[in-house]
Amino acid sequence: MSRLDRWFEGVTRQSARRVSRRNWLSRFGGVLVGGAALPLLPVARAAEKHTIGEDGVKGPQGDPTRCEYWRHCAIDGFLCSCCGGSHTACPPGTEMSPVTWIGTCRNPADGKDYILSYNDCCGKTFCGRCMCNRNEGERPLYHWYRNNDINWCGGAKSQAYSCSTAVVVKVAKEAQPEK
Amino acid sequence: MKLALAAAALLFTTTTVQADSYEEHDYILNCSGCHRIDGTGSRTVPSLHGMAELSGKPGAREYWVRVPGAAQAPLSNARLAALMNWLVERFTGKRPKPEYTAEEVGRLRSTPLRNPVEKRNELLRATAH
Repeated sequence: MSRLDRWFEGVTRQSARRVSRRNWLSRFGGVLVGGAALPLLPVARAAEKHTIGEDGVKGPQGDPTRCEYWRHCAIDGFLCSCCGGSHTACPPGTEMSPVTWIGTCRNPADGKDYILSYNDCCGKTFCGRCMCNRNEGERPLYHWYRNNDINWCGGAKSQAYSCSTAVVVKVAKEAQPEK
Repeated sequence: MKLALAAAALLFTTTTVQADSYEEHDYILNCSGCHRIDGTGSRTVPSLHGMAELSGKPGAREYWVRVPGAAQAPLSNARLAALMNWLVERFTGKRPKPEYTAEEVGRLRSTPLRNPVEKRNELLRATAH
């Protein structure tokens, strides 16, 4: 035990001689700020359970596997988050349709409206899990490009609908339907 | 310390960008679903970059407003005129001269094209020889 004491005393005296208080303060400050900033890094965020494919929108993450999740306000279909993909990525073996229907949703975290692109994932049989049918801002079939009852896999190689993503495009200038 | 602060600042600035204008907002909500954000279209939807082919040709200005996507968009004449000025500049590199006005757009969209592809070929043929 006395060896440990001696060693610790040595280290303490040495550091007291070599390191100035200001130097120590600046280092300690760096660790504090750096540590606080660490969870903001994409690596740390990806490690959390429900933030796969996060697209950089601030606020509470919510649970993308639930229909109540704010991004799903205008969706109609199976959530890709429950089907082996995420709300921004298709499950393996499916292709994201290039054509899509687009709507806006309000993010409760910052009160802003966001433009969302509900790209369908196509090429496998329908997923069947986490059906979500909220349709806010959806228009009837006569506004076909604001309608989500049509099969948006029309632009993909395969017409087989598997599930839907909800990708944030930009902050909207106004909520839809527009004035 | 500096590095940590720089990293934090970078993260705050790289958040989702706001649509720059109502024109861009209207483009994303009313056009980009099918023509895609970059305008390239798909197997079934024409590319907006094809507008450059028609640029400067007689009848092109009128044609662009009379195609179904523009003529039938649920936008006011004023918003459509602004969108068209923005769109033509973006995909042909030249802002229309004179710029579209709400009045002109309202007049043009009152006669939408039933067969836009045929009309397009007609415009291209007319100036080919």
